[in-house]
Amino acid sequence: MFLRVRFHGRGGQGAKTASRILGNAAFGDGYNAQDFPVYGAERRGAPVTAFTRFSDSEITERGFIFSPDVVAVMDDSLVADQSANPFAGLRKGGLAIVNTTRPAAEVNGGRDDVTVLTLDLTRQALDVLGKAVLSASIAAAVARSAGISAEAFVDGLVDELKEVGLSDDLISKNVTMAEAVYDELKPVKLRTEELPAKAELVPFTVVVSGGGSEDIVNTGNSASRRTGNWRITRPVIDYLKCTDCMICYAYCPESAMSVRADGRVAIDYDNCKGCMICQTECPPRAIGSSTEDGR
Amino acid sequence: MSTTTKFRTLKDMPKEDYIAPGNTLCAGCGGALAMRIFHKVLGPNLAWVNAAGCMTIATSYPLAPLKSNWLYTAFASAPAGAQGLRDGLDVLMAKGKLRRSEDLKVVVVTGDGAAYDIGFQSTAGAIQRGLDFYYLCYDNEAYGNTGFQMSSSTPYGSSSKTTPATAAFPYGNTDTKKDLFEAWRALKAPYIATLSNSHGVDFLRKVEKGGTAKGPKLYIDFAACPTGWGFDPKQSIEVEKLAVQTGAWPLKEAVDGVVKHTYVPGAFSPVRNYLRTQERYEHLFKPVERPEAIATIQKSVNDYWAKAAAEEGLKVRLAEG
Repeated sequence: MFLRVRFHGRGGQGAKTASRILGNAAFGDGYNAQDFPVYGAERRGAPVTAFTRFSDSEITERGFIFSPDVVAVMDDSLVADQSANPFAGLRKGGLAIVNTTRPAAEVNGGRDDVTVLTLDLTRQALDVLGKAVLSASIAAAVARSAGISAEAFVDGLVDELKEVGLSDDLISKNVTMAEAVYDELKPVKLRTEELPAKAELVPFTVVVSGGGSEDIVNTGNSASRRTGNWRITRPVIDYLKCTDCMICYAYCPESAMSVRADGRVAIDYDNCKGCMICQTECPPRAIGSSTEDGR
Repeated sequence: MSTTTKFRTLKDMPKEDYIAPGNTLCAGCGGALAMRIFHKVLGPNLAWVNAAGCMTIATSYPLAPLKSNWLYTAFASAPAGAQGLRDGLDVLMAKGKLRRSEDLKVVVVTGDGAAYDIGFQSTAGAIQRGLDFYYLCYDNEAYGNTGFQMSSSTPYGSSSKTTPATAAFPYGNTDTKKDLFEAWRALKAPYIATLSNSHGVDFLRKVEKGGTAKGPKLYIDFAACPTGWGFDPKQSIEVEKLAVQTGAWPLKEAVDGVVKHTYVPGAFSPVRNYLRTQERYEHLFKPVERPEAIATIQKSVNDYWAKAAAEEGLKVRLAEG
């Protein structure tokens, strides 16, 4: 068996750690394994990609995985995000594991030739860990689907989390969370197509011009990036309580707040990243929060 | 230098934004907020000159958040880039090829890596030559863009990628933070100030005031870094406030070399209250507390303020050591 797994997450969700947990677990289960992230600037919330390869024979492939057998999508907003493009190159007959509350048909990237498995890992992580870090649970989902033994998986998980420097308490919570995912799933029989020896590589990062030109003469055009999909929680202004003190406006690092013609502050949800500074700093507590899926 | 100000409260912050939403910086970025406010005060006719660092990533082809101009230089040479730009603008105006109304303010923006370490000599050169420019350093006390490696701005007791807390070095970094304010002052710049985003009116006034001086106008902004320091982005302003209230980040300015503190906490909060908010100091509290390291940090804060109080005749109620 030779499996190529590509993880797509947002900075802070644990995509890189997930790739390492899986690599560790596969190695412990007797496979040859590689794991590595895309090197880039470190950004919380920005799309992140990491890879794991494992095989029962020697692995001669190197570099990015352009044609994975499995993609693990840790945030469903990445499906339609052109800078992540998680379904690009996924082999026919492959498996996509998507963290979402939406039905599979809405998050399959328009692909009807692959299996899509949906899981609500964010809710579980918020319940168990208190924050949306999914490295253990998404790695568990891939490991179980790929038939890696429970023992090797837990050993690989604990090793990696120790390496990262987590406390024993947090490691045990992660193990509980990951085991729940592992036990819920079954191995998936994958029949991915073999690519011809000189396969055409499909680039998985696509820069889409939002009206830019080679010289970027149209300055201030970044609003078309829509960083609003980085958000886990959104600020909501209660205009009855708001006193127009402008403190939220002053402290917004994103310019995602503006002052309307009537003098009241408005939030640009297309680009607000959900840092929630406005909620913390609001003197009359007029800014509440809700999770993006309304829970 | 002008002492009148149009900034009384945060409501006076200009409502025009020159940085569009949708940049690719982390949620809750202190450096992004500093640039946004700085730009508001200086207005639209601006050219930023940037050395390698987080702010470089804010613009990611082909989407640009800035509505003004941007020149990107090598790590060491942003002030040299500013010199070229300033000279170019001056020459064009002298030749009548550029109207005075089309002139641009030249602003270097770098992190502490470029300001304290890699670009220090070119900054010293620009100050020596009396270059008419602004320098905004967003100081997040390490090389945050590449994963939080130690810089000479990293304080004693902070862990970083290259100064982790280990059995051999249980306190993390054991060097002291370089005093860039004093280093710049020794070079005789006409206006130098420290800023904190959490003290917005002080911030606005200093940018306004510096603008009335000709020559190098230099600012060090305390830029909270949720990713590198390890705290929830929603606490960015809280963490900055605590740094000021504990005295760990003094707000001050130097006009023609004369130092004045622009904000003195009524009663200093113990510095541990600030340290506790961040994972980069977690090893000072867990698994066992390191009272000797915390006392060392408290002592350095108290010594700083005792000296400032003596020099400026301030009344300070310092926290217990």
